[in-house]
Amino acid sequence: MDNPKVISDIIITLLVIINILALAGLAIALFFKINKVTELQKITDKLNRSLEEMDGQAKLIVRTDMELNKTQEELDKKIAGLYALQSLSRSLSTTLEESQIFKRITNAHLEELGFEKACVFLWNERDNRFSIHLSLGYLEDEGYIIKSFVDSEQDKYLDLITREKTISSTSLQQNTQIDKQKLSHVFKINAFVISPILPKEEKKGLLFVGTENMDVAITAGDEELITILANQIGQAIENSRLFEKTWRAQQELEKKVEERTRELTSVLEEVKTISKRKTNFISSVSHELRTPLTSIKGYAAILLEEKLGHLPAAVKERLAKINLHSDELVRMVDGLLDIARIESGRVIMRMEGQDLREIIAKTSDLIMIQCKNKNIDLLTEIKGTLPPVVADRTQIERVFINLLGNAVKFTPEKGKVSIHAQIKDGMVQIDISDTGIGIPAESISLLFEEFYRVDNDVNQQVKGTGLGLSLVKHIIEAHKGKIWVESRLDKGSTFSFTLPVLK
Amino acid sequence: MYTSVGLSTEKDPNLAAKEAARIAVNNMRGERIDLAIAFSSIDLAYPILMKVLSASLGHVPIIGSSGAAIISNQGIHKHGLVVMLLSFSSGVYFNTAFVREIKAKTSLNAGRELGEKLLSGFKDIRRVISITFSDGLMDEGSNFINGLQERLGKSFPLAGASASDNMRFLKTYVYFNQDIFNDGAVGLILGGKLNFGLGIKHGWKPLGKPRTVTKAQGNVVYEIDGQPAVRIYEEYLDRNITQLRKELKRISILYPLGMYLTGEAEYLLRNILSIENNGSMRLQGNISEGSLIRLMIGTKESCLEATLQATQEAKVGLSSKLAVFETKKMNNFALVFDSISRYMLLRRDAERELEIIRKGLGENTPLIGLYTYGEQAPLMAVSYQGQAYFHNQTVAILAFGG
Repeated sequence: MDNPKVISDIIITLLVIINILALAGLAIALFFKINKVTELQKITDKLNRSLEEMDGQAKLIVRTDMELNKTQEELDKKIAGLYALQSLSRSLSTTLEESQIFKRITNAHLEELGFEKACVFLWNERDNRFSIHLSLGYLEDEGYIIKSFVDSEQDKYLDLITREKTISSTSLQQNTQIDKQKLSHVFKINAFVISPILPKEEKKGLLFVGTENMDVAITAGDEELITILANQIGQAIENSRLFEKTWRAQQELEKKVEERTRELTSVLEEVKTISKRKTNFISSVSHELRTPLTSIKGYAAILLEEKLGHLPAAVKERLAKINLHSDELVRMVDGLLDIARIESGRVIMRMEGQDLREIIAKTSDLIMIQCKNKNIDLLTEIKGTLPPVVADRTQIERVFINLLGNAVKFTPEKGKVSIHAQIKDGMVQIDISDTGIGIPAESISLLFEEFYRVDNDVNQQVKGTGLGLSLVKHIIEAHKGKIWVESRLDKGSTFSFTLPVLK
Repeated sequence: MYTSVGLSTEKDPNLAAKEAARIAVNNMRGERIDLAIAFSSIDLAYPILMKVLSASLGHVPIIGSSGAAIISNQGIHKHGLVVMLLSFSSGVYFNTAFVREIKAKTSLNAGRELGEKLLSGFKDIRRVISITFSDGLMDEGSNFINGLQERLGKSFPLAGASASDNMRFLKTYVYFNQDIFNDGAVGLILGGKLNFGLGIKHGWKPLGKPRTVTKAQGNVVYEIDGQPAVRIYEEYLDRNITQLRKELKRISILYPLGMYLTGEAEYLLRNILSIENNGSMRLQGNISEGSLIRLMIGTKESCLEATLQATQEAKVGLSSKLAVFETKKMNNFALVFDSISRYMLLRRDAERELEIIRKGLGENTPLIGLYTYGEQAPLMAVSYQGQAYFHNQTVAILAFGG
């Protein structure tokens, strides 16, 4: 009766127990699951943290990389600029013509420097205005616009030259004289550098470079590079001017030398013509004189011999004078004829080997009487052996007689006349020295001129033609020798001449 | 096939065209000229350039574009014109076409138009590859490719270069026969017995934690991880929007965004064209919502390593021989589309990159190329089935044989 209830109670109890057990199991399972999730969460957090950390590192890497790239870009730009500058410098330094300087600057150079447009203006002081010498990256009409813009503001640009300062779109302050906006517009650029070109003398100017590139900002490095380039251009202009000056001076000098040479040549020709005319004149006049002189002398002689009748003493005396003066005139005419003949080459020199000792001995003999009369010592001194000389014997004897005669004539009593002969510089040199009255310095240069006679006591007393030394000079020169004189007043003179050695 | 190259560094477009043409024609040694490809620096990009070049080459078809610098076997030239003349063997077919006024037509429609024009008269020929040159300042270059692919086929190999100027981003030009124009694109399709190999790599590496594009449309990314897109650059570079804008060109090139693509060895890079006030960024190439992206960083070494890999890929591709030739008159040539970003990063080492390519392909392989504002080429991963994408910062090497 109670059994079914008990059984059902037991079943219920059992079910409760089972339920409790299941719940407990579930609770335990849940507990483990929760644990695992927490653990996974931890791992995920850890991974996420690592990822974030790595991402943070990535950011650092990117930023560093960005800076590095920028630096490298700047460095590359500089290296390229320096290369361009170096090659430009080399090219500019070898330029000696101003017009060539600007032709050497090319678009390629400019591009390496980071620009694509360039102009050069040089100030022309004569015209008081700028002239454009280089225009790269501009069309012709753009060049005109730029030129008229610079002209309209020339004072501002001249000021830049005066201040010797490089400016750029970066360094140019607002509110300064030069309007950056206007300049950029006219020159069609976004960034620019303007640097003065300063050769030492005139024609200073400005180098302008620019780029349209909106990304370019001019750095201090760019300004430096362009300043160096402007200096190089200035230097090249200076070099070219110096070169031109030197070249011009040389050209002028050469021209002058040429002119003078031409002048001298024509004068020489004239002198030769005159001299020839003179010789001809003397020659013909002398011939014309000789014939009547001979007649005069002949008639005087006939009269003197009294063949035509007795003559009073006074007439005889006058006739003797006529005779004497006629003789003098004949000597003079002969001398002139000799000189004229030698000058014109009409005298044929018989050039032969001659022994100078013989000639000296002969002429010394001839002069000896005069020496004795004046009690003058005549010495001959010959150093070593003398080779034979090439000479016309008769003419050379005339030279000796003339010079020795002069020496004796101008040497006071008890004086000394000496003859020296020696080999010198491949020629035989003969010196005839005396202890005479000497020749004043101012007369020496005229001594060998025709009809020149030194103004001294001896010459006033003794008559002469003034042709002797001139004749001597002509004879020596016809022998390709030289003649000169050294003299001291009251001490004596030395006449020296040279003759060629027989080979 | 026979090729020759003419280079001129004359400053005057008229003289440059004459000189380059004269040299190239001389080097052809009397072979028939079928097609010319021409690249010039922006300072030569005047109508007279193409008028004279076209006349000097006897009015053969010409395609090409302006570049920040041009590439030839002789080196990298910041100023100059390089012309490659091609004389194809029998069994090689080609067609050229152009499209203008892309802005008005939209990039997508312009791409479609160019595709259609290229295909006209090319229906029954085995198509090998298409090459395009397009205005480097075109918006949504990705859409242009999409349009092209709609007509040419999604998996049809497509390679191209975006024209560039001297880093001013003012005007870029494409060349077609005797004309030059911007806001346009020109294309070449090649078919028949011809082999080619393509390698494209950049070498940039991901940095920092992965992020997700949470809002984007076309080539504009609005939000990344739920925050204004520009935040990623503000954070990493520690600069505000104004500062970033001022240095955008450099930042965009050195640290582009990288899109992760499953199965691709490298991330697809995206340069930033502009930052808007609301914090969104306009990219050079499309980006899709949900994309996993990273900030990317490049070094000279990784860059040059990528060049080596790209060269190898191009060579491997070329040697797989799609066509077999009986004639022995075979000649290889190569086109190089090198991103201007790489020139910016490598700077004085840029010549080293060219050296790697030259050595890799063989010193005597005639090659010409240009620095671009974008490269277009297929991705290699199987999952993309060779579909072409718009790339940034890569070097694309296209080697031909036949």
